[in-house]
Amino acid sequence: MLEMRGICKRYGTVQANRNIDLTVPQGRILGLLGENGSGKTTLMKVLFGMVAADAGTIIFKGRPLTDHRPGDAIAAGIGMIHQHFMLVDAMTVAENVMLGWKRAGLWLHTREISQLIRNASKTYGLDLDPNAVVGDLSLGQRQRVEVVKAILRGADLLILDEPTSNLSPPEVAGLFLVMRRLRNEGRSVIFISHKLGEVLEICEEVVVLRDGEVTGQCLAANATRSDLARMMVGRDISALVQRPAFESRKEILSVDRLTLRDRSGFERLRDITFSLNEGEILAIAGVDGNGQAELVDVIAGLKSATSGRISLAGQEITSEDVRARLTAGIAYIPADRATTSLVPGMTIEDNLGLRDFDRPPLRRGAWLNRVAFRREANSRIAKFGILCAGPNALVQTLSGGNQQKIVVAREIGRRPSVLIAFQPTWGLDPGATRFVIDEVLSLCHGGGAVLYVSSELEEVLTLGDRIGVMFNGRLSRVFGRGEVDMTRMGLMMAGHDEGPDREDGGKS
Amino acid sequence: MRDLGAEPPPSEQQSTGRLFSDVGAWRAILLAGLAVTLAFVVTALPIMVSGRNPLLAYWALLRGAVGSVDAVAFAFNKSTPYVLSAVGVAICFRARVINIGSEGQLAVGGVAASWIALHLSQLPSLLLIPVSLVAGGVAGAVWACIAAVMRIKRGVHEVLGTLMLNFVGTLVVSEVLHGTMGEPGAGFPQSPLFPQSAWLPSLFPGTDMHVGIAIAVAAVVATHILFWHTPFGFRLRLLGSGDNVAAYAGASLVRGMLQVMLIAGGLAGIAGAIEVLGVHYRLIEGFSQGFGFNAVAIALLAALNPLAVLPAGLFFGFLEAGALAMQREIGVPSSLVFVIQGLTMIFVLCAMGVGFKQQRI
Repeated sequence: MLEMRGICKRYGTVQANRNIDLTVPQGRILGLLGENGSGKTTLMKVLFGMVAADAGTIIFKGRPLTDHRPGDAIAAGIGMIHQHFMLVDAMTVAENVMLGWKRAGLWLHTREISQLIRNASKTYGLDLDPNAVVGDLSLGQRQRVEVVKAILRGADLLILDEPTSNLSPPEVAGLFLVMRRLRNEGRSVIFISHKLGEVLEICEEVVVLRDGEVTGQCLAANATRSDLARMMVGRDISALVQRPAFESRKEILSVDRLTLRDRSGFERLRDITFSLNEGEILAIAGVDGNGQAELVDVIAGLKSATSGRISLAGQEITSEDVRARLTAGIAYIPADRATTSLVPGMTIEDNLGLRDFDRPPLRRGAWLNRVAFRREANSRIAKFGILCAGPNALVQTLSGGNQQKIVVAREIGRRPSVLIAFQPTWGLDPGATRFVIDEVLSLCHGGGAVLYVSSELEEVLTLGDRIGVMFNGRLSRVFGRGEVDMTRMGLMMAGHDEGPDREDGGKS
Repeated sequence: MRDLGAEPPPSEQQSTGRLFSDVGAWRAILLAGLAVTLAFVVTALPIMVSGRNPLLAYWALLRGAVGSVDAVAFAFNKSTPYVLSAVGVAICFRARVINIGSEGQLAVGGVAASWIALHLSQLPSLLLIPVSLVAGGVAGAVWACIAAVMRIKRGVHEVLGTLMLNFVGTLVVSEVLHGTMGEPGAGFPQSPLFPQSAWLPSLFPGTDMHVGIAIAVAAVVATHILFWHTPFGFRLRLLGSGDNVAAYAGASLVRGMLQVMLIAGGLAGIAGAIEVLGVHYRLIEGFSQGFGFNAVAIALLAALNPLAVLPAGLFFGFLEAGALAMQREIGVPSSLVFVIQGLTMIFVLCAMGVGFKQQRI
């Protein structure tokens, strides 16, 4: 169905794609594997017409695609679901689907489109309400809106760019089901990912990219994880970290019956109670949208709880603002890099000082101490290995992994007593993920406490000394490591809880 | 693991470009010059259509702007209120506070300065002038704060607030001129002439150029330093980047908005004071007309860079100064200069949007 030959693309000094050949037959699920910066996103952008290749040809369904824009690609039957969704938060699902679609007509056929959405929803198991406002949907649901958009426009080839970053195991399984149904209908899917396990599970064929080149191509049935990893990184990735058994230590953070009601009266957090000890990692799993974002925001000070108390080292901090909590030793790595933890338009140096600019040494009297900014930036860049053109480069020129390094360097670099990490490895390749995890662990060894909230089940199970699950605003019973496994976690994340243990607090 | 390092900036992310990027200040100046030239070329068309020679018209414009010492002095005087109000507006916009109320702030600034000049005339010049200027600044700052408070307490968008207060400010001027501060027996709503001790001294003796431009330049430099080199400025940049990141970094939206409106209002108020103390030597009706929107235009032309506001403001001022001469000598209506200003803005904004790196925040 698709044949790409000799694709080359250069961005300045960076050769993003070097003579890449890619063939996708009809009715095939092909995995495109590679780290951040390997060129897979560029290749797909070339295919989809968002970027023009310097050289190479594309033949889709027997017809050449040259000088095409995304509109031409969509018309030809290629659908792309981006890692960062292209949806309008303020509009409903139906309106988003109609956006830019001629079929919606000059006088919008909303009812017709809504019915189409419901039909597709049923056929593919997407569970979408056409009248729901996208801004209220969880990331997993938003992704399904993107899928339905592509399907309704008649995509024969679907490109999924890192689709499982924010899905729980049941949701991932659901997505795979959708993909298999599409394949059975004769459509093809390109599954871009850096997650070896998933690629092996769903894909029939795997193509591995590294540094802009194809380094390996094989059938999934014949490949093992380590084979793929070697092709992807060029070396074996060591097994995930082993954690020593945890001995009880002093309590540092105490959360008591935290409740948050949002403006519409809906309870986002219900009676959350737990405690965190020095040197411990409390890992909280859960499907995105069950209150995790609110929980971390409340503890970090960005939102105020409706009721409940938070204490740090015995002092109550419930009514303290962000700055006060920062000074008291709470560091926060939010999930959203682009609009919360970093300012892409500012320099690296300024971003590193984003939270401390108001205090010495970065501040000297009424002035910003630029010398101190530079000094701190240089030392952090060196210490955390941030790849950049210098402290004066704009953050937006960095790759996702390096951007997260800046956030980590800033938050962990100040040796906080409590670190709140919310989806800290989202969208990062294995190398960068490893870096973040290493830093979190070294913080713990130094006595810091970590609240690690993530939808990456594997990370939660390996890192957490104690593990909890959030569902519908409530925190489950907190287990010690080794007391739960993936299956049970998956069930709890979907709300299927066993009996009376539910309301137990988290006090160890 | 080796990251490929710099991910190329996706082209769909470009918004406003940056006039003075790292790549070349020279390139930016070249493009600005090109934009201005293009604007003049395009404006030549209506001039020709009206039967006049555009080259002669532009020559008159040039002579009117810089042809003599008096012309230059006049042009600098004209530029001063533009620069002052525009630099305040620029940092407001940077902090995502849309302040279009320079006109009203300028107006009440003039009223306050006039009041001081008329009622405290016994003070020596050395005290009277600074006090009048400060009074103007304070009045303008308060005026801007009304809009800010409305936004904070009641959610009335500052665009609406400042816009409406423009009208109120102008009417305040009319009101006092028809009442307590009006000159009895004058055929035109104006205040009595200020005592000479209140007149702004001239920068170069023998010329009409008053010290206002020096104040404007000082304000520009001070604002630039404030914006880039103080924690206060850092906070404004954060506010301008988004609500989420501002909250995360602990920058208060409320305080930031108040502070930046105070500054912008104060600068506009001082501009108003300078107008009455240095140009008209009295308060006259309608003296504040047109300054508000021009301030916004100049701020945008300068890509919201405080330092760039100076050349942008001077450009506007000199253009307008020359336009009056052009009208006198050639008969081309001086309002055509607004066409030139508008076209220049459009072309410069186009140049900024094309191919430049993202503006540094």
